Amino acid sequence: MKHIEVMVIGGGPAGLCAALAASSLGAKVLLVERDEIPGGQLVKQTHKFFGSEKQYAGDRGIHIGQMLLENVIAEQDIELWTDSTVLAIYEDGVVTVEHEGKHTKVKPDRLIIATGAAEKFLSFPGNDLPGVYGAGAVQTLMNVDGVKPAKRVLMVGAGNIGLIVSYQLKQAGVEIAAVIEGLPKIGGYLVHASKIQRAGIPVLTRHTILEAYGNGQVEGAIIASIDETWQPIPGTEQKIPCDAICLAVGLSPLTELAWQAGCAMAFVRELSGHVPVVDDLLESSRPGIYCAGDVSGIEEASAAMVEGRLAGLSAAFSLGYEANEAKALQQSAMEELAELRAGPMGQHIRDGINKVKLKRKIGNHAFENQTEKSGIVKDYSSDATNTCRAEIKTSLINDGIPTKEELDAIYPSDKRLTEGPIAIVECFQEIPCNPCVKACKRGAISMLRDINDVPVVDEELCNGCGLCISLCPGLAIFVVDKSYSGDMALIKLPFEYVPVPKSGHFVAGLDRAGRELGRFEVVRVTSGGDKNKTFTVSLAVPHDLVMEVRGIRIGEQAI
Amino acid sequence: MKNRDAEIMICRCEDVTRETILKCIAEGYQTLDEIKRVTRAGMGPCQGRTCRQLIAAELSRHYGMPMEEVMMTTFRPPVKPISLGALADAYEHERTGHKHEKIV
Repeated sequence: MKHIEVMVIGGGPAGLCAALAASSLGAKVLLVERDEIPGGQLVKQTHKFFGSEKQYAGDRGIHIGQMLLENVIAEQDIELWTDSTVLAIYEDGVVTVEHEGKHTKVKPDRLIIATGAAEKFLSFPGNDLPGVYGAGAVQTLMNVDGVKPAKRVLMVGAGNIGLIVSYQLKQAGVEIAAVIEGLPKIGGYLVHASKIQRAGIPVLTRHTILEAYGNGQVEGAIIASIDETWQPIPGTEQKIPCDAICLAVGLSPLTELAWQAGCAMAFVRELSGHVPVVDDLLESSRPGIYCAGDVSGIEEASAAMVEGRLAGLSAAFSLGYEANEAKALQQSAMEELAELRAGPMGQHIRDGINKVKLKRKIGNHAFENQTEKSGIVKDYSSDATNTCRAEIKTSLINDGIPTKEELDAIYPSDKRLTEGPIAIVECFQEIPCNPCVKACKRGAISMLRDINDVPVVDEELCNGCGLCISLCPGLAIFVVDKSYSGDMALIKLPFEYVPVPKSGHFVAGLDRAGRELGRFEVVRVTSGGDKNKTFTVSLAVPHDLVMEVRGIRIGEQAI
Repeated sequence: MKNRDAEIMICRCEDVTRETILKCIAEGYQTLDEIKRVTRAGMGPCQGRTCRQLIAAELSRHYGMPMEEVMMTTFRPPVKPISLGALADAYEHERTGHKHEKIV
């Protein structure tokens, strides 16, 4: 039997960060990952991350995964087992692993469960036809295996996964018939929805899939509008021909091991199902077993990374490592989590965590002692509740297209517009994200309180240099130059498709709903660099269209 | 509307349709564990990761109880299928201290 100080189950964003944090304090760590290449969902996340610099915001998920993995490999105190699956956690604390084809036993002093989540499935006639996929599976096919999964896709679910995978399918040259969502609003970040709307992909809220049809494989789907009670409205059925249906209807925490270990569990709808009840330092009801990432509640990967770090610190600290340093590090991780969850998009997470806290108070006395032991008194999650802000209530929440009023409110003054180029940040939702603030060397973009605020452009300080365009993870920044020439104005757009247009090309200019407004000349194309990979395309358009053109299309492809 | 429950797959691993699940519920089965034992739903390679929530939702709907109150199944080791050879090898290794020669 192998003995180890800290064992981490799962090499996703939470597990990688847990291993790094525990070893940084001096603990010997064993990290066990089921796949050949650790990284979890990061290995296929070709989009840029939100959050702040501390969670590597602005970097693409794949790059973050690579960086974390390189750090893990370089760390001598971390032993990495890949292609290895944990099979069970027994009462005596022994963990069994299928490692190199063998049934292996490990006895860790501390255990961190970071098993992540699995995609939820939907029940509808035809749901087992070949061509019905989880959206995550399609993302793996495309971005890991390099396989184009279909020609025309119906996406079910407008949360972040549904919106992001739709965008990436479009990048891969797949047509998206529509993104449908049962809720009356878009659940994912609106900047993701805006991005696909201007590529001509409709987002239909209050719609559901009635059935998939096809002979031996998906040939199409029937969708319909639903009423407030989620019942299909007769007469609204639509036939959508497609060869794949992607389900992006949420994730379930992968909690089998936590159940087996005897951790106290609670069903918390806001956290997407049964989750282990953990304390502020992420320790479960079973002393020495910690849970981090999606296993203890579905959230963004940025939060999973911070939770992993916190669990790793807590585990190493409880073994006696770096007692002084650890507390400050734990504290700052908790502050980061509170900040990531402070906006309206974090409301359900805050509610969920508060429910878990309640369970902890009435359920298990052990928790009270542990919290005292930690010596951290400040309650960050209720702090976060106090800073809750406004939710979007206009049609923007239904289709991702800002209203005239919303746009007028962020446009620079007419005087400033005529004076020269200026950035327009079409970011209306309070989400935890601030790379634009860091991007501007002149300090022209700011946020009022924290990273959840919407960015504000100082029209005096901004010189329209456009550096922020390719650094905004939401592709929501544009530069408008009305001083370009007497007839024409210039619009600079972010661009992430192939082929990349060249200056002198004429391309179709599209509005925020993906409608063509005319054909315009590309004046300049600049690359964001090898790592950034976002291009900035400058387009000369008539003055009256410069506030309308927000996308381009080359040939057939709407962009 | 035509009843199409036979075309709705709940457990993909063990080929259990919604029709079968609803029949179980109509017969009076009340828990995930009972349905699992009667139909094998949740006993395939994915160990219920796909169907568990769907069956729980059917139970919740039928008995009018919140999802919170639907009793979960028992989670027994191992969480994924493992070959008997690997288990036998581990047993042999532990008993004798020697790795068992693999019989091909």
